[in-house]
This record gives sequence, C-alpha cells and structure tokens, in this order.
Amino acid sequence: MLRGSGKHNGTDYSFEGIVDGDGGSGVAAEAELLAFADAAVVMDDRLGECRGHVVDRLGHGAMIDAAAVIAGFDAITRVADGSGIPLEAPKAEATAEWRNRLGIDAFWTMKS
Amino acid sequence: MAALDTAWRGIGAPGVWLTGAERVMIVEEARAARACELCHARKAALSPAAVEGRHSAITGLPQASVEAVHRIVTDPGRLSEAWYRRVIAMGISDEAYVELLSVVAITTAVDTFDRAAGSARRAMPVPREGEPSRRRPRGAKPGLGWMPMLAPEDVASDDPPLYESGGRIGGNVHRALSLVPEAMMQFWDMFETMYLPQEAMRDFGREYRAIDHAQIEMLAARVAVQNQCVY
Repeated sequence: MLRGSGKHNGTDYSFEGIVDGDGGSGVAAEAELLAFADAAVVMDDRLGECRGHVVDRLGHGAMIDAAAVIAGFDAITRVADGSGIPLEAPKAEATAEWRNRLGIDAFWTMKS
Repeated sequence: MAALDTAWRGIGAPGVWLTGAERVMIVEEARAARACELCHARKAALSPAAVEGRHSAITGLPQASVEAVHRIVTDPGRLSEAWYRRVIAMGISDEAYVELLSVVAITTAVDTFDRAAGSARRAMPVPREGEPSRRRPRGAKPGLGWMPMLAPEDVASDDPPLYESGGRIGGNVHRALSLVPEAMMQFWDMFETMYLPQEAMRDFGREYRAIDHAQIEMLAARVAVQNQCVY
C-alpha cells in the first residue's frame, strides 16, 4: 500500500528505513511517527515523550489517528500470525524481491 | 472512539463458542501474559518450544487456552502450525480457538490504543449471562490456514453477512477469523475504524484521516516489523 501511495504522489518511498527503524523512507514526520509506534508497541518508558513530539509536529488529531493505526496493526498482526494464513500468491510474487532484500522472509525461519 | 467501546463491551456478551465469563477471563489472561515469567523465558529463547514450565495464569481458563492467549500476546511472530496443533491437542476446539484469537486481538487493539493515546487502561468488560450459540458455518473448509475458513462463495443464506460491509473482498486476512463469523465481524467492525475501510485504502486521491495514506502505511509496516509479521 505504501508503494501505491508513492505511485500516486510521485514519491519513491524507501522501505529500508522503516524495517530497520533508522528512517530515510521519505514519509513526512517519519522520525516522530516511527518513534511513537516503537514506544507504543514495545511499551517503552519514552512513550509519553514520543506522543508529545507527534502532537507538536502534527497535532492532537493526528496523534489519535496514529495511535489507532498502531493499535489496529498490533492486533491484526496477531490475527494473521495466529491463524496461519499465507500471503496471497500475487502479493507474494509482487513483493518477493524486496521482502527477501529487507530480511522479512527470515521471519518464517523463526517460527516454532 | 466509539468502535473500541462497542468492541470492548461486546466481549462481555456470550459468544458463539465461549460464555461471556470465559471471554472476560481471556482479557484478564491477555493482560497478565506480559508479566508471565515463562513467556519472558520463551521470548528470549532461540526456540520457544524448548523452554518448559507453567504460565503465571491468573484465571481458571484451561491450560490450552492459557497457552494460546499467552503466546499470541507475547510472541505472535513465532507461532507455527506445529504449535497450533499442540494447543488443539491440549483440548480446545478450532472454533473456540478462533473466538479466543478474536478476543485477544480486540484486547490488544483497545489496550495498545489507550496506552498510545495516553488514556488510562479501561475497566474489565462486564460478563453477561447466556449460553454460546454454538453455530458453525456449514461451508467452512480446511486448506488456507491452520483451521477451516469460510470463503465468500461458500457463505450460506443463514450465515452472518461477514463480507458485506466495508468492501471486504475476502482476502486471506478477512478469512482468518471466518470460522466464527460473528468474531470476524466484531474484529473487523472495530479494525476498519482504526485503519481504513477497504474502499478507502486505495483511494489515494483523498485523505480520510489526520495523517495521510503514506504515514498510515508506514506505521502499519513498522508495527508489522516489530511483531515479526510476515503477512
């Protein structure tokens, strides 16, 4: 979906910085949002500080919407991983190169 | 957020395979799992299956349910079909597991949202009296995931309309909870308000939230990485 968004607005977003958390994706307010997501999901003590940075940069409404997306995906990843659904074949084919390059396929080997 | 309130209250109602009291105990156990020593040890281990012990359970749920709740909460990225088969062999049905999974997912969504937004953790849902309806969709078939699932083309006229709102196209993630259509609908009715309905996801010419499509997808991708989710 991020690639689709990039195609629409003519931006070549980079996945590397999102996967490794170092940034450089090209998405606006990336640093504040990634730090907020990480702090919320791993229950970091800096969550309040990170929340404040999102409010300062984007406003309270954006912080609430970001919190909703983070929470929704914290849940739906459990639905996907707890049910054993595979990635649809066309999606798997279309994303094979960059999933392998970014190390996402390595997640399969960690299952037990 | 009204959808979260609705989903939270709904946990207390009798489900399809679980009573309201059992569903509320799943919430209690999901919250307690993060402090479970066995879960911490397994999370740190190269192979979670190699670490034996007992969970720090705080409810009267059966061991199969406790194991399922704790692992889904604390180490979802390393769940496997072999693990699922072991849990089922411990004495929980496919249907009850799917309903449990939906309750854990709703609990995760609500608690993560409240924590992220700076709100206090909300009080437990109130369990309500009543018996589970115990109705399994006749068209559910094995083959896609670990348990049978109900494809859109196999939905019967007396099944709940699980694919009829939000532009649900029947993608694999839509089908994940479909063995218990009511559980699937409770989760997706909530999730679509937190993320985007299907038709809005690819409507890149219009923004539906105070953050844009790219920011939404970046957050989604980052959370998936944190949870080691391949899907």
